[in-house]
Amino acid sequence: MKMITMLKKSLPSLLIVVFSFCALQAPAMASVVTTEQLMAEQRIEQQREAAHAFFSRQDVQAQLVARGVDVKAAQSRIASMSAAELSTLNQQIDTMPAGEGLGLVIGLLVIFMLLDIAGVTDIFPGI
Amino acid sequence: MKMRHAIFALLISMSLIACAGAPQSKALLNSYTSQNLLSLNSTAVVLDVPFNPQQDYQCGPAAIATVLQFSGVQTSTHEMIDAVYVPARQGSLQVEMLAAPRQYDRLSYVIQPSLEVLLAQIDAGKPVLVMQNLGISTFPQWHYAVAIGYDLNEKEIILHSGLIEQYRLKLSTFERTWARADHWGVVLLTPGELPVAANELAYLESLVGYETVGSGDLVLQAYIKGVERWPNNETLGIGLGNAYFSQSRYGESIKAYEKVIDAYPNSAAAHNNLAQSLLQLGRLDDAANHARLAVNIGGQFQAHYVDTLNSILAKATEGKQ
Repeated sequence: MKMITMLKKSLPSLLIVVFSFCALQAPAMASVVTTEQLMAEQRIEQQREAAHAFFSRQDVQAQLVARGVDVKAAQSRIASMSAAELSTLNQQIDTMPAGEGLGLVIGLLVIFMLLDIAGVTDIFPGI
Repeated sequence: MKMRHAIFALLISMSLIACAGAPQSKALLNSYTSQNLLSLNSTAVVLDVPFNPQQDYQCGPAAIATVLQFSGVQTSTHEMIDAVYVPARQGSLQVEMLAAPRQYDRLSYVIQPSLEVLLAQIDAGKPVLVMQNLGISTFPQWHYAVAIGYDLNEKEIILHSGLIEQYRLKLSTFERTWARADHWGVVLLTPGELPVAANELAYLESLVGYETVGSGDLVLQAYIKGVERWPNNETLGIGLGNAYFSQSRYGESIKAYEKVIDAYPNSAAAHNNLAQSLLQLGRLDDAANHARLAVNIGGQFQAHYVDTLNSILAKATEGKQ
């Protein structure tokens, strides 16, 4: 009985944790074109269109400069990007992952330590 | 009491995550222990790769400097800050990591998302620049490191990572952090070099990127090598023709386009570019024939084909007057 009450009480927190941590994958269905595959197709199409959409190299350069990159450096950076890459940068400069090394939100320390020990994450390379 | 609930929830969720697993490491180590040794020649390798300890937020510049130095380029983390670091993001973006090596005549080749392919690169003597999400999807901690070795007996991968030289990490843990960054890994190639386990589309991508700044000669070498490896690839064949064309070597560009047309008679782009080459050599009748073929086949670049035909016809009337 006590166990059930405990389960009931902890259910909301349990669900939150489970949903935020787990992106479980559904098994693939044989020979059916899945929605995910269709999405991938569409994504490729969209990217192609975006690559043809008009924007100048200067626009992308300005975006980099606005984010603290030196003008000359920005110029030389975009010179070596393909049209598709420029388009990606132009659209996702603030959302794409930026590899930044190791900083950490203190509140999550304990959770990550446990996850590290479980071999799921690797925030503390020492453990 | 509340604390107990939290810990209970945490433990349950952790056991669920553990189920998500590291399928590639498992398969790889299984076939290793069953003596079915994959494509790898060695059970343990550590490459002699320079180490650039990173300071705050500089894993991107440090990692890219490391692979560049290994491939013979004189550079430093400091120099790479200008090339890839974005202050407002306090980090470096993948597109920029790909673009930077091209300035030094290196192709950035994105490997297939497979742990076995990654280890095969190291086995072949190439360190691999990898992106990892060291945190979890909800609280990402993006990080660049350089994979420089592995040890299958110890089930470990060896990285230059952050401040740690030759950091040994369990293969399965690495796989989880790598999978959360979409298995993103890059090796640098000198023009004319092919990676092991080469994929033609990935090679083409690396080549198209390099073409933006690469010198004509080196780009040409890279295309020649690509066509040698994948003689039936239409895009590579046309690319080879284009590389000759941009060097004004029209005789050779004609041969390249003709070879593509042999295999792909309906390649409008090949007909069009062949017509352009013939035009350059003043062979107007042949040029007009191929331009007409391109226009008749049509497609995405129809406007180009019409332009080509018109300019050839204009040239022909000019000649007659």
